[in-house]
Amino acid sequence: MKSKPRVFLTRHLYIAVLLFILLLAPASRVDAGAPPENAYLVELIDKGLQAKLANEREWHLLLHYRNDLLGGHTSEQDDPGFFMSPDGKTDPQAELDATLKQFFSDELVGRSKQPAQCAFIARYTWLKQRLAFDETRLPSIACERFDRWYADFEAQSITLIFPSAFLNNPASMFGHTLLRVDQKGQTEQTRILAYTINYAADVPPDAGMAYPIRGIFGGYRGYFSTIPYYLKVQEYRDIENRDIWEYRLNFSEHQVRRFLMHAWELGNASFDYFFFKENCSYHLLALLDYADPTLHLTDEFLFWTVPADTVRLIASKPGLVSGIAYRPSRSNVIRRKRESLPSEEREIAHRLTKDVGELKSAALSRLEPMRQIFLLDLASDYLRYRIDTTDEPPPELKERNRAILAARSEIRLPSEEFRVEPFAKQPELGHNTSRVSVGAGWRNNSAFEEQTIRAGYHDLLDPEIGYTPNAQIEIASVTVRTYNRHNQTRLERATLANVVSLSPIDSVFHAPSWKINVGMNTIRFGSCQLCSNGVVNGGIGAAAESHWLKREVVFAFAEAEANYSHAYAEDHRVGGGGTVGLLADLTDRWKLMASGTYLRYALGDKSDDFRWFVGQRFTLLQNLALRLEYNHRDRDNDVLFSFQAFF
Amino acid sequence: MSKKVIMLSVAVLFGMQAGLALAANPDTGPGCGLGKLAWSDYAHQKNIGPQVLMATTNGTFGSQTFGISTGTSGCTNDGKVMAEQKTTMFAQLNFENLSQEMAQGQGEHLASLATLMGVPAEHQAAFFALTQERYTSLVKTGEASPVAMVKAINDAIATHPVLAKVSTR
Repeated sequence: MKSKPRVFLTRHLYIAVLLFILLLAPASRVDAGAPPENAYLVELIDKGLQAKLANEREWHLLLHYRNDLLGGHTSEQDDPGFFMSPDGKTDPQAELDATLKQFFSDELVGRSKQPAQCAFIARYTWLKQRLAFDETRLPSIACERFDRWYADFEAQSITLIFPSAFLNNPASMFGHTLLRVDQKGQTEQTRILAYTINYAADVPPDAGMAYPIRGIFGGYRGYFSTIPYYLKVQEYRDIENRDIWEYRLNFSEHQVRRFLMHAWELGNASFDYFFFKENCSYHLLALLDYADPTLHLTDEFLFWTVPADTVRLIASKPGLVSGIAYRPSRSNVIRRKRESLPSEEREIAHRLTKDVGELKSAALSRLEPMRQIFLLDLASDYLRYRIDTTDEPPPELKERNRAILAARSEIRLPSEEFRVEPFAKQPELGHNTSRVSVGAGWRNNSAFEEQTIRAGYHDLLDPEIGYTPNAQIEIASVTVRTYNRHNQTRLERATLANVVSLSPIDSVFHAPSWKINVGMNTIRFGSCQLCSNGVVNGGIGAAAESHWLKREVVFAFAEAEANYSHAYAEDHRVGGGGTVGLLADLTDRWKLMASGTYLRYALGDKSDDFRWFVGQRFTLLQNLALRLEYNHRDRDNDVLFSFQAFF
Repeated sequence: MSKKVIMLSVAVLFGMQAGLALAANPDTGPGCGLGKLAWSDYAHQKNIGPQVLMATTNGTFGSQTFGISTGTSGCTNDGKVMAEQKTTMFAQLNFENLSQEMAQGQGEHLASLATLMGVPAEHQAAFFALTQERYTSLVKTGEASPVAMVKAINDAIATHPVLAKVSTR
């Protein structure tokens, strides 16, 4: 019996506990995370899993996932606010689930501080359609900011913009690309009003020497922006004097909307900017890939993305480009206008830029009104060129321009349109970026064979179509040569960078020419027959162009050079000297270059060097060429015949 | 080289804005965009221009001023130019191109300005003739303030026998 009341007590306790649990039960089910909408979330996540949405190309394009070598995925995007899951950068499924969850919330997310449905509107639109969201269980949120932004574009189509290479700024050496969102009802005259979608690195103004290093290794962040096209035209055409090519893309209305929705999402994104691969061109291609997933543009670039290559790729897609427009740089407008003039009229235009007194001259006033207009407009173009390219333009340039324009406005006729023929054809007609060569020849009576591979980009003898004339950029080139007599295979030449910019000088344009070369070659020196020799060379000079045969450029440089080789006493020599040379187009396919160099080395191994070079190139096809080159140094003669293919 | 040029020209451009009546109420101004930089009541008006265009040349201009969906610091325009400021901003940033084209009686900047001012394409020849005729006074006005130049052109349109009727703004 003693135990009975205890049992009774226990039973009471049991009932009390049971009642307590029953009472609390509904509340604790809420805590377990299942209000009605969350049940729906579980349902959606499950549905997404069933449909394997996280493996779809669409999801990978939206999140910028790339396949890893080990079979995983990593997003190229580097801003944590772009992902809804902390593991989003590497886990597409976790990101998809977290994104679905976030769609139920109006919490502000991402750099743009909006609800997830609006900040990531392309993701929302796609998932809503694929999972058939129930409006009553997952209500959509109004995205007024996006709607306003979208409507303001009045978007009709997309145009790829390619400002050509500009050698005098390292960041622009290979050209640039951006996209323009063309407006409904836009004409050729009003396309400057359209917005662009631009991707650029955020470089602090005082970057200085850190810029190239950090730029190459991803030390800067890149962001997307919508700069009005008229500002871009000013920057490239008027100030940097670069030709601009515009490629109108054949996108449907639906694709344009996809493009803009994803561009809006990228407002939340930032990418580590890598000058050679993940640069302006690469991320714009990713955006185009999203607009039309069948394009597969980014898949084509593994190691580097050269803007001209992206243009070639886009132009090669059948039916993608619906029209090409050319916008000449101001300097090329001036060149072509001058070329079209008889010499006495050229003189009048020239005098107008020097002295406004010429406005009242008989030489000008006896011309037909349309001729007067042409000369006044040319003079104004030239003065504006000087104003925009001079560090501190003297005020009289501006005053002279005003006086000329005032006189111009007195002739009450509109100027006629002047068609400018480009000096460099559009980039898609040019050779590909990388080059491989096989060749054979003799060096001092020893026969050899050699192979060369060059990562990029263009040298002075390469086929010029599609490239900025008189400009050379060679990056990462290696030559291996086998000498038959010595039965020796060696690294013959290697180039880290070899850049030459020739700027022909005339009465209007006076930019200096310059060159820089860092690499190694093989020399014969003293008792050494074949010795490796490190070279650093830089020079500044001038060039002039003539048209005796077809087109020739003569040039002269003053230069300094440092060599490092065991062949020299003290292993090195440093000196200075000069080069003169000639570059000539003999026919459309046949080009000749000849140069002579004298260098005197005053430090290290005191010696001097006298060099000759004669080279010829014959173009077979857009991507095939033949070369015959002769190199002479002190008691060292080298003849090379080679076959070159671009890829 | 070119960096200096833009900085300089814009320093002049914006410096001249200093005394302008259009210095609107910053609260109703155009958010964080270039318009805000141009028109809000800055303490050191003269410093704004160089900042803006210095940034242009090295790319930061893009992300700060025209960044897409930049929801920070009270931005409301997400990198776009506010509608009511499109015309004056265009006139201000393209003043040199516009004055050249006004003298020449044609050009894409001038046609774009006409479009922004509501002149239909088929009547733009009359607009070009009008600005060519008044070139000297318009440029003089514009050098002091491109905004005043836009106003002067608007007034001229209002008294023009044809343009006054066809202009939609």
